[in-house]
Amino acid sequence: MSDHTTSVVDVRDLVIEFDTPRGRSRVVDEVSFSVSPGEVLGILGESGSGKTMSTQALLGLIDGYPGVMGGQIDLTFQGERHSLLSELPHFLFEKRGQLEKQERGWRKHRFKAMASLWGRGATAIFQNPRRSLDPLMTVGQQVLESITAREAHKPDDTKLNKEAQSIEALEWLERVKMVNPKRVFGSYPHELSGGMCQRAMIAVALACKPSVLIADEPTTGLDATVRAQVVHLLQDLIRDERCAMLYITHDIREMLYLADRVIVMRHGKVLERVSTEDLKDRSSERHPYTRTLLEAAGMIGGDNE
Amino acid sequence: MSKIKVSKIKVIKIWRASSLSFQLSSLVVFAVFLCGLVNPLISYDPVLDVDLSRRDLAPSLSFVMGTDGQGRSVGLRLLKGVEAFFFPGLIAGFFAALIGGGLGAICGYLGGWVGRSIAAILELIDTLPRMVFLVLICTIYPPSILLIAMISCLLFIPSIATVVRRKVESLGAEDYILAHVAHGFHPLKIISYHILWLQCRALLTRQLIFVFSYVLFIETALSYLGDYGVQEPYPSWGNMVAQSRISVAAWPWAIPAVAIIVTIAALLAFGDGIARRDEEVKR
Repeated sequence: MSDHTTSVVDVRDLVIEFDTPRGRSRVVDEVSFSVSPGEVLGILGESGSGKTMSTQALLGLIDGYPGVMGGQIDLTFQGERHSLLSELPHFLFEKRGQLEKQERGWRKHRFKAMASLWGRGATAIFQNPRRSLDPLMTVGQQVLESITAREAHKPDDTKLNKEAQSIEALEWLERVKMVNPKRVFGSYPHELSGGMCQRAMIAVALACKPSVLIADEPTTGLDATVRAQVVHLLQDLIRDERCAMLYITHDIREMLYLADRVIVMRHGKVLERVSTEDLKDRSSERHPYTRTLLEAAGMIGGDNE
Repeated sequence: MSKIKVSKIKVIKIWRASSLSFQLSSLVVFAVFLCGLVNPLISYDPVLDVDLSRRDLAPSLSFVMGTDGQGRSVGLRLLKGVEAFFFPGLIAGFFAALIGGGLGAICGYLGGWVGRSIAAILELIDTLPRMVFLVLICTIYPPSILLIAMISCLLFIPSIATVVRRKVESLGAEDYILAHVAHGFHPLKIISYHILWLQCRALLTRQLIFVFSYVLFIETALSYLGDYGVQEPYPSWGNMVAQSRISVAAWPWAIPAVAIIVTIAALLAFGDGIARRDEEVKR
């Protein structure tokens, strides 16, 4: 792991729990990871392995009860460290032998703590591109809105004016390689294809200029060719923007292509941490689960081969 | 950018694409609005209009809709009668939509026991039978159309708030609302613009128009039941029907009655059409 002083994101011993009819279940169990500036960390795992939950915790977007119950999340933004969970113990109390959380108070605190970090500190691209764009706004308006939200935090004299903002919005649509950016600017999401929606979403997210982008299975539900385009696009833009990325997927090929380091998760636990180079090396010793994943993707031969 | 595109051509396109019921109803609504807006400019003295020598005249060139039992011009009274419900109805609809939408958004956003208790109070008000409550209020306080409008507004706030609250709650789990939060949009902006304006405006418009038509309906009903509505000699569509129901001629009551039915039907169809047009964008 990289050392704590230079990392953009530093998650330690994160615990997330949910109440279910069968009692409390631990979805994320003492997960730790960190991301250095400009680095791409891949999180690999099957559905329900807690990979999405651990990144949503970073954004403070977990809604179920009780949610985040322990650990540390540090987010470095403009040279300043923000400890998101430092106040958490004040909101926890014991009741009938079980740890409970003051949900309302915590929610309030969480919103206050995240207010300056959402967008510029960290932001996300979600799985389903159609559902993550506002159906009633044109794509251009949505990119523009990200830019406006970002500019709102700046001191008055350095703010971009309205005109410069719309020019930038159009530039973003060009940068995500829209064929006809001017037309796309005035289009509604339902008029675009799935791949175009996801590219628009990338534009909306990166227009916030985040220091870390969370990409939560951005290629799920897209065609194979479109997938490749989206992955290439993400890689190029991340490099240009010097933005760190948490890339979540269960597709090991995308992972090998994009990520610098990979953590493998299952049942809410981190099973293995490897560099991509290491993962590509077929001869090296692997965790049995990672081996299964590699085999499933046809990356290494099965046992009977 | 999209705002610039709204031009004459677009209006014509929309007109051609809409259904016949929407076209007809919007014509009626437009006419009623025009009457409502020019009304303050027309001076009408109901006492001076009385002329017993021209009672119950059939529609003719000088009196397009005939005259009533006191020799007053039915057409002029019909036109002036719009005033009785127009502004009170608009104000009631506007405030019902505004307060209902606001309260619903607050309940949905806060959640927890605060949201639940506000919702419970609203549901309690919603169970009151509207008509009976209005009659009750009008017997206690001196009836006026403004009072009727205010009470109708109050009675519709809970149902609007409940719908909006449900909408806010269900939208809170939508990916794009989460994405808006993650991109750092201000929560107030998300609630007021993205949820209330973009998502609920169709619903709120429909409710606004519904409350407006309800004020007309209730004014008619109360005028007919007893002297709760606008008082004679000042005209309202309701008291025109009520006053002339024993009249020999048909037009003094038939014309305002038809006007009431057509206007209410047109308002409902118009509200529905507007809301549907807005909802179509989503698909």
